[in-house]
Order: sequence, then structure tokens, then C-alpha cells
Amino acid sequence: MTSSKPVIYVVDDDVSVGRALSLLLKAHDFNVEIFKCATDFLAFKHPKTSSCLILDLRLPYMNGLVLQETMASQGLTIPIIFISGHGNIPMSVKAMKGGAVDFLPKPFTDKDLLNAIDRAIAKDKIINKDLAEKENIWRRIKTLSPRELEVFRLVCSGMLSKQIAFKRGTALQTIKVHRSRVMQKMQAKTVTALIHFAQKAGLISSK
Amino acid sequence: MRNISKMKTKPKTPTLKKRKKSSSVSGQKKEKKSVSEKENRTEEQSRLKRQVSNLGKNCNHLRETVNHQADELKTKNGQIKEWADKEKLAEEQIRIRTKAMDSTTDGIFIIDAQKRDFPIIYSNHSFQVMTGYAKKDILGQNYFLLYAAAADPRIAEEIKNTLQQNRSFHGEMLNFRKNGEKFWNYMRITPVRDTSGVVTHYIGIQTDVTLMRQRDFEIKEQREELLHVTRVGKLAEFVSSLAHEISQPLTAILSYAQAAQRILAGPPSRLAERELQLQEILQYIVNDDQRASEVIRRLRSLLKKSDPEFAPIDMNALINETVVLMTTDITVRNKVIKTELYTKLPFINGDRIQLQQVLLNLINNSLDAMEANDESREIVIRTFQKDPKEIIVEVKDSGCGIPQQNIKKVFNHFFTTKPDGLGMGLSISCSIIEAHGGQLEAENNSDGGATLYFTIPVIRGKSKGTKGPS
Repeated sequence: MTSSKPVIYVVDDDVSVGRALSLLLKAHDFNVEIFKCATDFLAFKHPKTSSCLILDLRLPYMNGLVLQETMASQGLTIPIIFISGHGNIPMSVKAMKGGAVDFLPKPFTDKDLLNAIDRAIAKDKIINKDLAEKENIWRRIKTLSPRELEVFRLVCSGMLSKQIAFKRGTALQTIKVHRSRVMQKMQAKTVTALIHFAQKAGLISSK
Repeated sequence: MRNISKMKTKPKTPTLKKRKKSSSVSGQKKEKKSVSEKENRTEEQSRLKRQVSNLGKNCNHLRETVNHQADELKTKNGQIKEWADKEKLAEEQIRIRTKAMDSTTDGIFIIDAQKRDFPIIYSNHSFQVMTGYAKKDILGQNYFLLYAAAADPRIAEEIKNTLQQNRSFHGEMLNFRKNGEKFWNYMRITPVRDTSGVVTHYIGIQTDVTLMRQRDFEIKEQREELLHVTRVGKLAEFVSSLAHEISQPLTAILSYAQAAQRILAGPPSRLAERELQLQEILQYIVNDDQRASEVIRRLRSLLKKSDPEFAPIDMNALINETVVLMTTDITVRNKVIKTELYTKLPFINGDRIQLQQVLLNLINNSLDAMEANDESREIVIRTFQKDPKEIIVEVKDSGCGIPQQNIKKVFNHFFTTKPDGLGMGLSISCSIIEAHGGQLEAENNSDGGATLYFTIPVIRGKSKGTKGPS
């Protein structure tokens, strides 16, 4: 994750709107990428920078809502700010439910837009941080042996070492050795930290 | 019979001859008696001879007569046979034709035109099925008395006139079966004339077109519904696309302007470059402003309406025309329109189509008001004058009336109490009447229902009386 200037993607079929937004955002020190349609945007190789997408609802071929769904299914987690010249309530509800940061009716002021961008970038940072953390945990999980992974799961499900030993039919001492290796490999100082890692990695549900 | 009695006389002749012979034998025996007796005898003989010859003659004559009559009988017999054959053929033809008339689904009836009350003298099976009356109810009855009395009086009148003028008639009308069921009747009546051209009968053929009508009606209804939906839909769509088209350049302009502000607020370095950039942005702003203006210009040309065409109008005639237009609708909804038109109504200046629109709106409004109530059936359209400078047209119904709190609002745009109303009818009517220099007003009747009336100024200087059936 390089901490260079965030990239703002703009997808709008109206050339003038795209150009105006580009000028405005560049004046505010953002990197800007303009696309005239959804497919162009999807085809673009997105750098791993913090970014957000300003997306027109009405687009040729693939409208904004469909692009939002497509991005979700492709694991493209760039936060979206919808803009629309004729948005109706059902559409904006759908957009927000799909995880959009904001829905700005055209015309909008730079203040509203910049506010939304700030929130979107913040959200993107959290998403990216989460992703990085998750990746990190999984990298550690992958170093566990199958027996250690099993002990990891059972510890996280709340079982005591002697319960695990009884269930597995192994000596308590053996389980204790496995357990300390898990703590070491997972870089967890306490059981609580270990359970937190398991939750982040999606091994156990958070509730 | 006469021939036979004459034939019987024939065998009498031989007995007469025998008698003559016997008398002559007795005469020879008494020859010597006297001369006078002789003379007497000769006389007797000659008399008998004459008689015999006469009898022979008679006999011949009789034979001739008999022969002649036998011949005659033969020909007559042949003729009768021929007639019988002919009659059989005719009967066969009648049978086939009756069968044809009975097998058609059209109702057929024949009216005797030479009797004063025009009784029905024949009806086929389908006519009985269609009307629901038995043959005995139909035959001898006057067609109108029978069942068409409940039909539209205008059409009934038209048919009566047609019959009285010996013309043919065809048209559609709403009839009722014996059990009260409605059906649409496509009726054709044609006069039948004898060789001298006098109308002796009328033949009526009627087709039950209810289903066809219903289908037409359904199609019409669907079309109207569609029209309504598209009208409302079009408006929303139009507004939405208009908003979009204008919001695009506005969005761009705002962003350009705010980008320029941002650039100006930035550090004053590379002034020449900044100036160029600002000039470029200003040009973009001008371009997008023109784009927005173009949208507005297009909108204006779209909404520009053609001026109404004013011409002298006979309001009574226009009302009659409009009532005719509405007849079917009114009959279907089981309502009645009456007109009380002031025959000396002066002409007014107006746009025919617009004024008709107003009349249609008012009549439809009255029909809607009476929809829920089967007992209120009557709409009365009246024309009259209070002030010689203007005419008054009044549409009075016996419907639900207007709640007092709404009476001022009924002419507002989008004000409606109907579930599927747009709230445009009366407000459009109101602006049309105002454009004609008149006024449209509403009030409740003391005996229920509402009256909507409008005034229109008369053409100055002209005051032509018009014919108006009332």
C-alpha cells in the first residue's frame, strides 16, 4: 500500500461533466481517472492505492447499479459515490443498500462532493486495512500443521486443553505443546488475541 | 254428375222399341175394324217413328257429349296432377326456406304493413330465442309494443319514421329480452312491395352483436386505460428526462466554476498557465450554458400551442351533436339525457372543438356523479338567456352533488375525488370558457345533484334565431 495521492475514478457518459469533475478534483490535488462507460472502468487495471468511484446512475449499456453489483461479485471493493440527474427514491435506496457511500443528485456542490470523497477514502482505508490484516492472519494460519490447525479451532471454540486431550484421546502434555506452538506461530500473546484472529480470518463467526 | 244421369237414359231406348213392335202386332189383328182406326194407327206409327229417330239422334248426341266430357275430364285430371306436382314442389321449397330461416342465428320476422298497427305475422326460431318470447307472444303483436319499448327512444322513433315512410332501416340498438337481459341488436328492416309497388310487408332481420360489442368495448376500454397510463407516464417520463437533460450541463457548470474558484484560491505560481486554464474553463462554462438554454428552447417550442380557431357557433346544434356522440355511453350506463334548448338562442363566437370538449367534460362529470346511484338517471342540458349579451348553458344532474367545502376547489388543477381522475377536466373546461370570455360555475341543486353552467357572450350585432329540437 503506497501512500501516494488517492485516485478518484469518475464514470459518466457526459463528456462535459467528466471533464468538469476532472478539473475540479485535480484542483483539489487528487489523481483523477475518467471513464465513459462501466466496461471501460472494469477493464482498467486498478492500482492498490486508496481510491473511490464517482458513478453516474444512468449509463449506456450497463447502468450504475449493475456496475455496483458486478464489482461486488468480482471482489472490487472501491467505495462508490453515486451521482444522478434523475434519481428516484427506489434507486437511491438500492444504491445505499448495495454499500454506496453517498447518493448525490445533480447538480451538486464541490463541498458535498469533497465531503463524500473524504468519507469514501476513509472507508476505503478501513477496507484496505482490514484486507491487509486478514491477509496477514491467513499467511500465519498457513504455517500451522494440520494438527495445530485443529487445536487452534478447538481452542477458539472455547474448549480447555484437557477437554481437547480427552476428545482427541491424546495426552494433555501433547495438546499443551501444540497449543503453545499455535500461539507462537499466530503471534498471539493471549487466548483472546488468538480468538480475535480467528474471527478476522473468518474461521469462526464473531457471535 | 250430370253426365252420369244422362248416361242412364241410354238403356231406355230398347224397351221403347219393344213396345212399338207389340202395338203394331195388335194393330194388324184389328185391321178390319175401321178406316178411322187405320188412319189412327198410321198416325200412331209415324209418330212412333219420329220418336225413334229422335231418340237415335238424342242417343248420338249424348254419346258425343259423354265422349267430349270424358276427354275434358282426362285433361282436367292431368292438370290437377300437374298442379299437385307443382304444389308439392312449392311446398318443398317453402319447407327448405323455412328451414333455412330457422337454422340461421339471425332473428327474422315479418310485419304486415297493411294493417294499421303493423303486427308481426311471422318469426323464426332465432327471433324467439333472441327476444325470449314464445311464438304466441310474438305473432299479432306490434314490434315496439312487444319489447323494443325500453330501447333508446331516439332509435325507436327513427325506426317508426322509417316504416311510415316505406324506407329501409339498419342500425344498432340496445334491446331487452323478456327476462330483462340487455342485448345489442343490429337490426335491418326492408319493405316488401307487391307488383304495383305498394308496401305489403316488412322483413326484419336482427343480429345479436352483444359479444362483438363487448369485445369492442373491452378493446376501447383497454385503449383508454392505456392512453391514460401513457399520458400520466409520459408526463413523469418527460419531466424526468427534462430534469436529466438540464441537470447535466448545470452539474458541469457548477463543477467548472468551483474548479476555477479553487484554482484562483491556490498559490499564485505560474500565472500564465493559470490564466490559460481559467480561460479554458470559462469557455466550457459558456458551452454548457448554451446546452442548457437549448433544452429550454426545445421545451418552449414543444409547449407552444396553436391558437384556438374562433367561428360563429350555434350552441344548440353543438349540444345536439355532442349528445349524439355520447348516446352509446349514456345508454350503456343506463342514464338519460334531456335537452331543453332555447330556440331563439343567438350565435356565439368560439372554438368548436374546445367547446365540445367542455360539454363532454361536463356530461362525463355528471355521469360519474350519478354512477353509484341507479335511481338518479337524468341529465338535463338547458340553454337560455338572462342577459341578452350572453347565453347560459346548464348541465344539471341528479347525482351525488358537490360537498360544500369542495365547491370552490372543483376548478383547481389536479383537484379530484375520483379514484382514477387526473383532476384536469373541470380546470381545463374552466380555462376554455374563460378564453371565450365567459365563466364556468358550479352549484348544488336544492333537490339533489349539482348544476354546472357556463356563460358565453353573444356575437355583437347578430341575434339570429336557431332551430333547436326541445
